[in-house]
Amino acid sequence: MIPSRLSALAALVALAVVPWVLARHQLSLLTDLLIAGLFAMSLDLIMGYTGMVSFGHAAYFGLGAYASALVLLHFAQPVPVALLAGALLAGAVAVPVGWFSTRATGIYFAMLTLAFAQFLYTVAYKWRDLTGGSDGIAGVPKTPLFWGGPSLASSRAFYFLVAACVVLSLFVCRAVVRSPFGRALQAIRENERRFTSLGRDPRPFKLVVFVIAAVFAGLAGALFAPFRGFASPEVMFWVFSGQGLMMVIMGGIGTLVGPVLGAMLFILIQEVLSSYTEHWMIFTGVVFVLIVIFLPGGLVGTARRLGARG
Amino acid sequence: MTPLLETRGPTPLLETRGLGRAFGALQAVAGVSLAVQPMELRAVIGPNGAGKTTLFHLISGLLAPTAGHVLFRGDDVTALAAPARCRRGISRTFQITSIFPELSVLENVRIAVQLKIGDNFRLLGGRAVLEASEQRARDSLRLLGLDDRADELASTLPHGDQRLLEIAMAAAQEPALLLLDEPTQGLSPEDTAATVAVIRQVARERKLTIILVEHDMDVVFDLADRISVLHFGQLIAEGTAAEIRANAEVQKAYLGGLD
Repeated sequence: MIPSRLSALAALVALAVVPWVLARHQLSLLTDLLIAGLFAMSLDLIMGYTGMVSFGHAAYFGLGAYASALVLLHFAQPVPVALLAGALLAGAVAVPVGWFSTRATGIYFAMLTLAFAQFLYTVAYKWRDLTGGSDGIAGVPKTPLFWGGPSLASSRAFYFLVAACVVLSLFVCRAVVRSPFGRALQAIRENERRFTSLGRDPRPFKLVVFVIAAVFAGLAGALFAPFRGFASPEVMFWVFSGQGLMMVIMGGIGTLVGPVLGAMLFILIQEVLSSYTEHWMIFTGVVFVLIVIFLPGGLVGTARRLGARG
Repeated sequence: MTPLLETRGPTPLLETRGLGRAFGALQAVAGVSLAVQPMELRAVIGPNGAGKTTLFHLISGLLAPTAGHVLFRGDDVTALAAPARCRRGISRTFQITSIFPELSVLENVRIAVQLKIGDNFRLLGGRAVLEASEQRARDSLRLLGLDDRADELASTLPHGDQRLLEIAMAAAQEPALLLLDEPTQGLSPEDTAATVAVIRQVARERKLTIILVEHDMDVVFDLADRISVLHFGQLIAEGTAAEIRANAEVQKAYLGGLD
C-alpha cells in the first residue's frame, strides 16, 4: 500500500519536472508515449477488467482524432472543446457498436469489434470530402487552452496538457474499477453465468464499460491530432488495435497503470529501433514473447507479485 | 384452479404446473407438477439423467420450459429470465462449482449481495453500497464457517470450502427459496456431514425454503421434510422419507438400482 502510494507520488513528481530536464524532442517523444498510454489504459477497462477482448479499439482513437482535427481546423475552437468533441464522438459511435457486439462473447465479440472498426476505417479512407481520404487531415493547429488563455503551441505546454489528461483519466478509471459498477465488471470477467444467476443481466454492464473505454480512447485520439498536427486513416487500422492488445499484455492486464507503461515500452522500442531498421517489429515481438513467457501478468503484475512476496 | 394439484391451505412458495422441457426428441422433464410450502426442505432425487438439474434450470430460469408454468408466491414467473427470478427471491447453487475464482472469498459473497440490493451502476464512489454489502457478506461467511478465509482467493480454497462458498453466496442474497444442486457432490464423508449440519443451520436461521438435488441418500433422508422422485423426467412419487423408502415403484426405479 505505502510503496505503491510512494511510487505514484514519485511518478507525479517526475512528470512535473521532466519538461525542465528533457530536450525538446525527448519531451515530444514522452508526450507520444503518454497518449499511447491513455489509449492502452482505456482498452484495459474492457479487456482486463471485464474480460472483453476487442480487436477494434483503434477505431475510437481514430474517431477522437478526426473529430478533434475537424473541430480545430474548421471551427478554430480551443483545444478542450476539440477534446470533448473527440471523446463524445467516440462514445456515441460506441453505443450502437457495443449494443451489437456485446450480444456475442469471446472470439465472436472480438470479430464483431474488428468488423465494425474496419468498417469505420473504410469510411475514413473513402469519405474524401470530410476526412481527406488516405492523405488524412493535415495542419491541425494547437489552439490555446481557452480564448485569451495560455497558448499550447510550445511542446512544454502541450506536454502538460497531455500529462494532466492522462493522470486525470487514470484517477477516474481507478475510481470506476473500484466502484460497485467496477466490481460487477470483474465478476462478469470471472464467471458470466454465475453473474446472471445472481440476479443481473451482464449486457448493460458490458455496453456501459465499452462506451466508457471508447470515450477515453477518443480522448487519446483527440490529443493526438493537435499534437501531431494531423489525423489519418492509419490510426484506425486494425494493426493499431492489435498493438493496443500487446501494450496491455506487456504492461500488465487489469492494472490500468500497467498498460500505460506497456504502451510506453512498446512505442520506445519502435521509436529507438525504427531509426536503425524497418524490421523493428521483430524485436518488439521478441520482447512481447519474453514477457508473456517469463513475466506473466506483465511488468506491473510481476512487480506486484514480487512486492507481495518480499 | 388446476386439476393437476390439490392446493389446500396457504399458497405454496413454489409451484410448478405440468412443467416440461424437451431437447429435440429427448423429453428431459415432462409434466412435473409439484408444490413446495414455505419453510419446507424438499429433496428431489432420481437416477442419473432423471432430469433433476434440468428441473432446477427451469425453476431458476436458466432454461425456458417447452411446456407448463412456474409459480413463485402465487405469481406466474414462467416468462421471467434468470436474473429477474433471482431478484424476486430465488437463489441457487450449481452442481459443478460456479464461483468467481480470481476474486477473494469475501468479494464472491459481497458481489452476490450487491447484485441483489442494487446501485450496481454507481460508476464513482458508492462506498455506502460497498460497506452495506460487505457487512451482509461477512455475516453469511460466518454462518457458513468461512469467515477466517475471507481474504483468500476463491480459487485457492479446497473443493469442500468452495461448495460452502457457493452456498454462502446464495444465502447472503437472503432469498425466500434456495435451490441447492448436489451440495455434497465430491465431498468426503466428514465434509458431507459438516455440510448437512450447515444446511440445516442455514435453513433454520434464515427461515429458508430449500429445494435440494442430491445423490447421497443418507443426506436426503436426514435433511428432507418431503422427497420428490424423478424418473425419466417424470415425477413418480412424492412423500416423507418413510413413505419414499416404502414405495415399491421408487425402489424399483432407483433405490434398488444402487445395490
